[in-house]
This record gives sequence, C-alpha cells and structure tokens, in this order.
Amino acid sequence: MAWQRVAALESLRDSGVVGVELEATPIALYRFGAEVFATHGICTHALAFLKDGWVEDGTIECPLHQGVFDIRTGRALCAPLTRDLATYAVKVEGGDVYVDLEISGIHPNSAAECPAAGAHSEGASAALPLVIIGAGQAAAAAIRAARAAGFAAPIHLVGEERHAPYERPPLSKAALAEGFDAASCMRLSPADAQALGVTLHLGVRATAIDPVARTVTLSDGAALAYGALLLATGGRARRLTAPGGDLPGVHYLRTLEDAQAIAMALKGAGRVAVIGGGFIGLELASAAVARGAEVVLLEREPELMARLLPAPLGAVFRQVAERAGVSIRRDTAVTGITQEAAHLTIATSAGPVMADVVLVGVGLEPETALAEAAGCAVDGGIVVDGEARTSVEGIWAAGDCALHATPLRGRARRLESWQNAEEQGAAAGRSIAGVAGAAEAKAPWFWSDQFGFNIQMLGITAPDDAVVVSGPDAAAGAVYRTLDPQSGRVTAVLAVDDPAAIRAARAELDAEAPFDGAAHDARPVTLDAACDDENSDAISEDDDMSADPAAQFAKTYAWPKDGLSIIPDWVYTDETIYQREVERIFHGRTWNFVALECEVENPGDFIRSNVGPTPVVVSRAEDGTIHVFENRCAHRAAEFCRELSGTAKEFVCPYHQWSYDLKGNLVGVPFRRGVDGKGGMPKDFKPAEHGLRQLKVETHRGVVFASYAEDMEPLADYLGPEVMHEFETTFDGRKPKLLGHYRHSLPGNWKLYHENLKDPYHATLLHTFLVTFGLLVAGNKSLMLADPSGRHGVMASAKSEAGNVDEDKKKEMRAYKEGMSLEEPRFMNFIDEFDSPWSVTMATIWPNLIVQREMNTLGIRHIIPNGPNEFVMKWTMFGFEGDDEEMTRHRLRQGNLMGPAGFLGLEDNEAIKFVQDGMLRVTDGEHLVKLDPETEAGTADTLISEAAIRAMYKHWRDVMGIA
Amino acid sequence: MLTMEKPAQTRDDLIDALLLKAEVDAFNARYCAALDSQRLADWAALFTEDAFYTIISRENHDRGLPVGLIYCENGGMIRDRAFALEKTAMFAPRYLRHMVSNLSVREAADGSFTANADYVVFQVLFDRPAATIHQVGRYDDVFVRTPSGLRLKSRTCIYDSLLVDNALCIPV
Repeated sequence: MAWQRVAALESLRDSGVVGVELEATPIALYRFGAEVFATHGICTHALAFLKDGWVEDGTIECPLHQGVFDIRTGRALCAPLTRDLATYAVKVEGGDVYVDLEISGIHPNSAAECPAAGAHSEGASAALPLVIIGAGQAAAAAIRAARAAGFAAPIHLVGEERHAPYERPPLSKAALAEGFDAASCMRLSPADAQALGVTLHLGVRATAIDPVARTVTLSDGAALAYGALLLATGGRARRLTAPGGDLPGVHYLRTLEDAQAIAMALKGAGRVAVIGGGFIGLELASAAVARGAEVVLLEREPELMARLLPAPLGAVFRQVAERAGVSIRRDTAVTGITQEAAHLTIATSAGPVMADVVLVGVGLEPETALAEAAGCAVDGGIVVDGEARTSVEGIWAAGDCALHATPLRGRARRLESWQNAEEQGAAAGRSIAGVAGAAEAKAPWFWSDQFGFNIQMLGITAPDDAVVVSGPDAAAGAVYRTLDPQSGRVTAVLAVDDPAAIRAARAELDAEAPFDGAAHDARPVTLDAACDDENSDAISEDDDMSADPAAQFAKTYAWPKDGLSIIPDWVYTDETIYQREVERIFHGRTWNFVALECEVENPGDFIRSNVGPTPVVVSRAEDGTIHVFENRCAHRAAEFCRELSGTAKEFVCPYHQWSYDLKGNLVGVPFRRGVDGKGGMPKDFKPAEHGLRQLKVETHRGVVFASYAEDMEPLADYLGPEVMHEFETTFDGRKPKLLGHYRHSLPGNWKLYHENLKDPYHATLLHTFLVTFGLLVAGNKSLMLADPSGRHGVMASAKSEAGNVDEDKKKEMRAYKEGMSLEEPRFMNFIDEFDSPWSVTMATIWPNLIVQREMNTLGIRHIIPNGPNEFVMKWTMFGFEGDDEEMTRHRLRQGNLMGPAGFLGLEDNEAIKFVQDGMLRVTDGEHLVKLDPETEAGTADTLISEAAIRAMYKHWRDVMGIA
Repeated sequence: MLTMEKPAQTRDDLIDALLLKAEVDAFNARYCAALDSQRLADWAALFTEDAFYTIISRENHDRGLPVGLIYCENGGMIRDRAFALEKTAMFAPRYLRHMVSNLSVREAADGSFTANADYVVFQVLFDRPAATIHQVGRYDDVFVRTPSGLRLKSRTCIYDSLLVDNALCIPV
C-alpha cells in the first residue's frame, strides 16, 4: 500500500479529466467539487487516452469510439466496450491528491451526485471588441462603415487567406491577363487597417463560436472575446463531385492565389475546357480566348446561365461566346476527369473532351457552418434582417454567406455580387455602431466583362420571364428587358456596352405600369429567335432536342431500326451506358448475389463482396442475421475492409478510426466531442444517421442476395417459378460447403458473359473439348429457357455418349475431332445426384450471378463490372456437407472444365476478349443476333438459337429507357 | 527457410547438397523450356505416373481450400491436360517465359526429397508492346529419382497473383 501524490487539487478542473502518470501507469483523474476519482488512463477497447475524453453525468466517454465508462466503478456501459476499466483509490489531503495503485477505487459511497457543468460567464459589454470572421469585401465595408458611424471599440479581423481584404470581381477578369497588379484590387490595405484600429489575424481560421460566452476560438489556439460578431465568411468554389475533380490542371477560382494559378496555367495552354456556363465560367472562357487558347465550354443544363436568366438571355451570352470562338456544349454533364501525362480527358455524357487545362466555374457554396453551429438561422444562406442582424443576439452576417434581407421575386436569395458585399457589409457596420435604420433598398446590380463587352444587369429576373430587346441583338448597344409574365412590369434590364441604359433602368424598375414596348422599339426575344444565327438550322434543331436531357439521351442512344436482331456496339463500350447500368440495374430493382451463407458461418465472420462494381461487406452479426453494407466509410469514403474474408468484432476504418458494428451501424467517431471543448463534430451530429449504406438482404437455400431497392420484391417473385425451380434443383436443400475461389479479370463487357450462357450455339463450335468427349453435341436433348421477363435464363443439356453422334451431325460440327480419348475417364463421369433431366445447367440470374451445374462440378460465378470494357469474375466453387472425400475429389477433377484455366472456361474468356477487341477497333459497329427467327425472344428448344439474348435485351432496353 | 535446413556438417555433405541443388536447377530449366516452347507432352513426361499437380491460389491454399485452376491427380490427367491444350483448346497465340529462383532442397530418408522455389511467368501477346507478369508464385515440390532421371511426384503451384488476367492457357 503506497499513497503517492499525483497532483494538486487546484490543478484539476471541476467536472473535468486530466491525465497523469504514476509508475509508468497512465492514470485519468476526475474532479467533482472536492471529490476526486482515478481510473486507468487508457480505454479498454483501443489505444486512446481517456484524458482526451468527455465527462458527463459521472461517466467518461472515450474520444475514439465513444465507449462510456462509469467513472466511480470503471464499469463498461456500452458498445464497443467489453471490459471494465481499472479504478484506483484516491484521497485528498492538504490540497494534494494521492493515488494508491494497489487499491481499487470503488467507494462504498459512490452514489454522490455528479455536479453539473459550471455556469457560463454572462453577457458582453458594449466596450467589447467587434470580431469579424472573414476578411473579404463585406468585412472591409463593415469596418469602414462602423468607424464612420463612431464605433470606438477594438476591431479584430480574422481571415483564412493571408491577404488583407481585397475585391474579387477582378479575379476572373483583369487578374487573368498579363501585367495584373494585385494591389489594384485591395479594399482594406494593412495600412488602412492600422489607421482604423483593426487587428489583423490573417492565415487563421475561426473554429468555434460560443454565442453565450461571446467568444470566438481561432485555429492558432487564441480566443477572442467579442461584444459584436460579424460573419463575413463568404464561400468556397463548388468542387466537381465527379472523380478527377482534384487533379492538378483542374482549377477553381475563389482567391487571388487561384487566379494567379489560372493565369500561369493559361500561359501556353493549347486547349482549355471550361466547366460551367455561368458568369464565372464565361469570364474564364473569355480570359482563355484572350490568351489564344482553343476553348470548349461544357454546360450541364440545356442553356447557359440557366440558374440566373431566362433561356433566351442565356442564348444571348452563348452567341457572344460562340462568335468569339468558344465551342459550347450544352446538356453535357461531366462524369469524371482523368490525366495522362500533361493531358486531361473529361468524360462527359456526350463523349470525351481533351484539354490541357480545365477551369471550373460551377458556383459558390456559402460558408455557413460556423453560423449554424452558433445557432443562427440558416436557409441556404445566413438569415439576416435589414441591418444584417442574424437570429442570434450579438451576431451579424453580410456578403456572399448571407441571404438578402427580404425575399426577391418571392424567394429568399443570396446575392453574390460586389454591390451586395458593399451594402450589406456597410449596413452591418452601421448597425454594430448603434446607428439604426436599414440600408436604402437598391435593385441588385451585377456586371460582367467578357469577350470584349461590358455587360451589366439591374434587377432580378426569373426563368419564365418574357424577354424583349431594343437595339441590336447580342451586340454592343443591345438592351434587354425581362418582364413579369403576369404584370408585364420590368423585372430586370441587361445592357451590352450601355451603362446609360442601366442608369435609366432604375426608374423603369420602380415603375408600376407594364412595360411599353412600342416606346422603346422593343421586340420579343424567343429561344428560336435568339438562335437565328448563321447556322440557324443546325442550332435550332439541336435546341429542340437538347431542351430535355432525356430527349438528348434518346437521340444519342437510338436502337437500330431492325429491332431485336441487331445490337449496336455502344451497348458494350459506352461509359454513359455503363454508368446508367450501375444506377438502374446493379443499384436498381435487382437481387444481386453476394455470398454463400457458409462463407459467413459464425457471428463475426465476414467476406468482401460486390454489388455491381460497388464493394460491400457481407457479415454475420451476433444475433446470427446476415448483413450487407457498402465497404465505404461514411466519413471520407475509404474502402475500410481490405481482407478478403475473416472474423471481426467490429469494423474500424483505419484512416480516422471510425468504427462500425457488424450490421454496419456507426458506433464510434474519434474525438467526436473535440478535445478540451475545441474541435469535434457539430453538436447535432447523430451517429445513427451516418451508418454505412445498408442493403436489403435475402437468403435462400444457403445463398445470400442483396438489393439496393428497399422495397424489393421477394426473391421467389424476382426469379419466377421456372428459374426458381432450377435454382432449387442445384441448391437442393443440402448445405453448401465451400471448396475455394477463382478470380479473374476479363477484358470485355459484363453482359457478354450473360450472352455467352444464353448462346448455346457457341458451345458445339467453340468448345472442341466438349464435343470430342460427348458432353454436348448439336443433337443432344437441350433447352434454352428465358424467363417471362427475359432477364434470367437457364441453358440445359443432357449428356450423351460420343459414340452416339451420327455421321450427318458430325459433318456439321467443325469442332468434332475423332480419335481422341481421355486417359482418366473418371474425370467425365456424371454422378446423378440431382432431381433433374439435365446433366448440365447454367442459370443466368440477372444481373450478376451464374449458377453452374456442370455435371458434378458446382460453382457460383459472380460478375463484378469495372467500366464498360472490363469485368472481374469471382468463382465460388462448392460441394455439399455430406460429400465424402471421393465425391469432393470428383468435383475437383471435373473442375478442370471450368474457371480461368478450364478446358471450356479459358476458351470463353478468350472469345469474350476477342469480341471486345473487335468492337473497340471500329466505330459505329453492330452485332447480329438473328438465329432462330421463329422465336422472336424467349425460350428456345434448339441450341441453334439466339432468342434468349434477344429476350435479355428487351428487358435491358426497358430498364435503361432505350426505345 | 534456409536457417531451418540441416547445416552441412562436412565438406562432402556440402558438395552433395550443392550437387543435388544443381540437379534440381537443371530439372527446372528443362521444365521451363518445355513450357516456354509449348511442348506440353514433354512437360507431362516430367511427372511420375502417380504424380499430383495443381495450381492453387494462395488465398485457397492458406485457407485450406482445395480448388485449383488445374487439378491433376495422376500422370494420366496431366497428359490429358497437355493433350487437350495442344489439340483442342482455342486461345490467342502467345509467348511465355517461366523464371524460377530461390530454390531450396531438403532430402528425405527414403531418397525422395522436397524442394521449394519461387516462379514468375511472363506473357507476351502479339498485339501488346509489353510482356506482362502473368503469374507470380511458389512451387512446393516432391521429387523422386527414376532410372530416367529426376521426376516430379508432386508439384503444387501456389500463386500470389490472385486476380488472373483473363485466362491461364499454359501450365506453370
């Protein structure tokens, strides 16, 4: 027994935890008023220090996975904990804390109440500083306005960028040309800041706001007390969500550094692709054209500026850009970017686009997280009143992150403009200084410089406003007015190189009367008229089609007129088609094979599997149920499970140690509560809402299926009686027993494998081996069944002896070779173990499963597509419980027929590769599937038929929306 | 594995061990030459009549699962494999190179001996510029002496490259 002093009572925070070390043992000390408790310092689950944990109601929550221990008893209170924590005796004497490592700390009087957290400091005085988060233009405007209105307290300006406030409009204009001087866009220079009594905290982020204590915590650890807080946090350039959006060579624009990087990239760039046809995208295109680049602009919507303007006005911008030489592709969604050497390839819904540089202008995401965490009302932007006050006392907001004080044209909006940053910032500054009164209401004003024109707009228009034009069209001097379709009043004026028209427009916007077109010599602009350009025919036709993306898809992917007997190559080679297959088929209303039950025999057993290309984990939980969930951490998407199979108590993503239970529920988030009150997840983060994506599961006769469709019909309905009958003939109630796997990658489209097994025609011709040894000949009893939906099939045949082949049939079979015999005849024996007229069946179960019953060698073939031109085939070979050793060996011997090195299997693999090679080396090719015209599509009673392939494509076209 | 071998006690022991290793090396060179020149009947002749030959993934091997890409229980099945590949199988023409290295040999009391070696198989397709590493693995062998020289009584090819590139057309 040895009491050892570990700390002064004074050094322990009330209701807090600290870590100390005693004889190399880490100890956690907890103080509640005058009482102190000690436990071992490390969680019993994983290596985490409890001193970094969260104390609440007499418990300590581990920072790593949120395991909770009772501080007094050390008892483990919840998952993922399984072991209690050691506790130690503590005494407090003379202001010092002593611990005895040899005595447990469990007190008889441990029922003492755990005091609540201490009261917060109250209120803030008017003399306290103004803290501004975000050092942009709105901040600068607020500072100047506040000082002008007599605000005398200190001002702290916190900015993530290393620059004092500057204006952003030049970034997409002058800053991209030669000879730009960054000083020219300064809005509040360091000298100005000093003169105005502003302390700059640059290159620093605000990490938390305590609206009650009125403090702001900074990323450098400092804390600033405030009397008033202004959020001028602006926003971030929206990133592409498609893969490759972060490659070098792909640029976004928000900061001065971004602009400098783009200016550098444009030097000597031959081909530039701009993604996004809004103001920023067009200005970037303009800058690239000015640098002599060949420019292509990709717009997802049917027209440019679709978010802001009626389509006829968007068409005006498009014509201006096209005349300047920009190639514009509308209805073109970017699906990914890849890089090879210095070249970027943008995969789009309308084919690949090559570029040296990619510039992205797809909008701004307002930075509102701090505001939300502080309790401010946020609705797509921070909600403010006319004085820029948020819903939280003492907090104001202005600029790109804030909504306009009143709805505009019936909608709460943010205005991402120079004018708004100035006016809202100034309104906040005045309000903080105590000068009441909202800013004078001014119509929103935007301007853009592009392709040699200055284009200004006053007012707010809506997509269904009518458009009229005075003067020339799409040229200097053009003045467009948008009119409310009901009232006929002017809603906005857009002028090309005509600032006077904008000045005059203020009165027009205020006018009560409908617009008098005749007085302004105005004529309507419709979409057709706007396109009445040199290439009027081509463009307007294109417009008709492109008005609707679905129509554009239908135009691009039109099935040949010959109907079912022709299959175009793009079915097998096109990336857009492939993406749609993943979405509509593998992630759609289908049951996908994922495992045999015997692979996850016991609770905790798991295997890696796939649904379509998507990696999933199949796991058996403690209660014996089987679960299938995406192998993709809910935090940062990491594919966390890397072992092919194994046994686990839980799944922990190695990147940030997020942990999940065997059902895929999120259990632990390290440092969810931050450390010492700093950082951590938002208070309202609910782990239950952030589990792994869990799929619906059904097992039948030892086979596990999963579906993304939550309301998926039962497997029996999905398979239909005929296919289910064949399934249950192979899985006849005996318990499957795993014999092993093959895995191989095939350089072909995944559907070719289905077709291979719905194509009995090839079997007698390609597989010499099969024919030679009498396994299958054209005259064998056989069936090629297609289920009524066309998606599933069963190819079946009954074995005959080679000697039975008559002379006529032999001549027809190119593949037949006489004089061959096997030295090991047992290899071809068929042990009649199934209740079936067929010795060989191949069930193709849409979309990813083939059940192989090749005499006595049994296997699952699991299709895992990997793009249009490749798939992986995973084979799961099995026998049954109760097989004796000789039966197992027989199955293994017969296994020589199939798999990546199988006598038949290797030939199918090669044939599929040949087919894909053939398609990739011509353009606009097509396949013939005309055999057996008596059966249009469906079940055939001859092997010389392609009716089952035709049935499959009937179904496929339905699901894919290809007429 | 080397440290587990019985250390050579004398100079004669050492010379015997080196000679045996040289003999197996020469055998493996012959074996590879037969495969690389696609003389599969010659390859099959390097096994005993009761030989066992399989190509099994390391995944299956480590889990005690018996399924192999090729599974031959006797010399007849090995000859059937050679015959079927030469006479019936359809696959794109290709060149292969089998490389064997890191050989270790342990002699047993009955005159047979076991050996291990690592192997790499390169494959060249005629329309691709690069040779690809088609398979990487390890031989687990049992040899016997016969009047016509060393023969394989058992060869288990345990491959690391789990995801086979399309098809395995020639044995390893």
